[in-house]
Amino acid sequence: MKKRTVSIALAALFVITAAVIAGSGRSNEVPAPPAIGATIDEFTLPDVNGQEHTLKSLKGKNGTVLIFIAVQCPVSNAYNDRMEKLAEDYKDKGIAVIGINANSSEDAATVKAHAAEKHLTFTILKDAGNKVADKLGAARTPEAYFLDANNKLLYHGRIDNSQNPDAIESNDLRQALDSSLAGKPVEKPEAKAFGCSIKRA
Amino acid sequence: MRISRLTLVVAFIVLLIYLTVPGQETTRTVRRAKSTTAPAMPTNVEPIDTAGLKDLISKPKDKPLLVNFWATYCDPCRDEFPDLVKVDSDFRPKSLDFVTVSLDDVNDINTTVPQFLAQMKATMPAYLLNVADPEPAINAVDPKWQGDLPATFLYNAKGEIVFKAFGRVNTAALREAIERLAKN
Repeated sequence: MKKRTVSIALAALFVITAAVIAGSGRSNEVPAPPAIGATIDEFTLPDVNGQEHTLKSLKGKNGTVLIFIAVQCPVSNAYNDRMEKLAEDYKDKGIAVIGINANSSEDAATVKAHAAEKHLTFTILKDAGNKVADKLGAARTPEAYFLDANNKLLYHGRIDNSQNPDAIESNDLRQALDSSLAGKPVEKPEAKAFGCSIKRA
Repeated sequence: MRISRLTLVVAFIVLLIYLTVPGQETTRTVRRAKSTTAPAMPTNVEPIDTAGLKDLISKPKDKPLLVNFWATYCDPCRDEFPDLVKVDSDFRPKSLDFVTVSLDDVNDINTTVPQFLAQMKATMPAYLLNVADPEPAINAVDPKWQGDLPATFLYNAKGEIVFKAFGRVNTAALREAIERLAKN
């Protein structure tokens, strides 16, 4: 009889837990991004060929840009040429550009094929379990993070103000990189734009 | 003992159902508006700027206001739209105001945006955000919002956000939030 009571109590606990989880809207929760000035921890992720890379092994001597990107998101795709150009322009200035795909709906093979088709030559990492997306509080694609040589977060947000290259008025990410290279503080360390929500695992 | 095992199995199944369908309509009975036979007219989409958007969400309300930010290019936005149209027909105009705000390009205001809304038989007021810089609009709605789409906000009559969802909305949770407001 006692065993039965315990079992019923356990069952009730299960149901309550389920209701709480379902009611909390957990599928929508994105951890808060780190504050500007915070140091980003070292991480390891595989590239689209499955080869593991540490942040340390990929970062530039003057800093690193991490951009969350997508295969299917039209907003992210609108920035393909601009992201490639950014990687080219800042390579010689010692800033590395790294793409991260954290969409659970897009596997490494798909990301690889898409990069080849769109001529994206910078390294793209696959964050299959949202490990790094969660750590950085990344919510959408494209969403950029600029870390200085010591992995201190100097800029977080959009690449620029408009998906349409003809309507760019505020080149926020490039301005952050240029300020840092010139040894100046980043004037606008955060800027937002609309994008596709990252499909978390 | 057999009964208690059965109880556990049932509880586990309930848990699984809850966990596997977070964004879906549950099968529970909901108040349905009687379906009208007239075909839905294509919705006229109005441009709105940041000031207009601020005014829309902050003006005094006699009913709760639901605002859905979406775009035709956004897969989860399109996926959740039929659920939102059902929410609209179940609650508006009796106990809810509902508007949609498209983030599509302003050039699509007379084409793909109203076409999609017509296809969805969506009749709630529809806007398209027409701004050069989206940031002030995003921050005016919610400083914690990063601009990820879709995004859904429910305001009470005082204009306070009482429910929000980034990414595909959990329709069951949204309905509960609307029903809770209707009771108050």
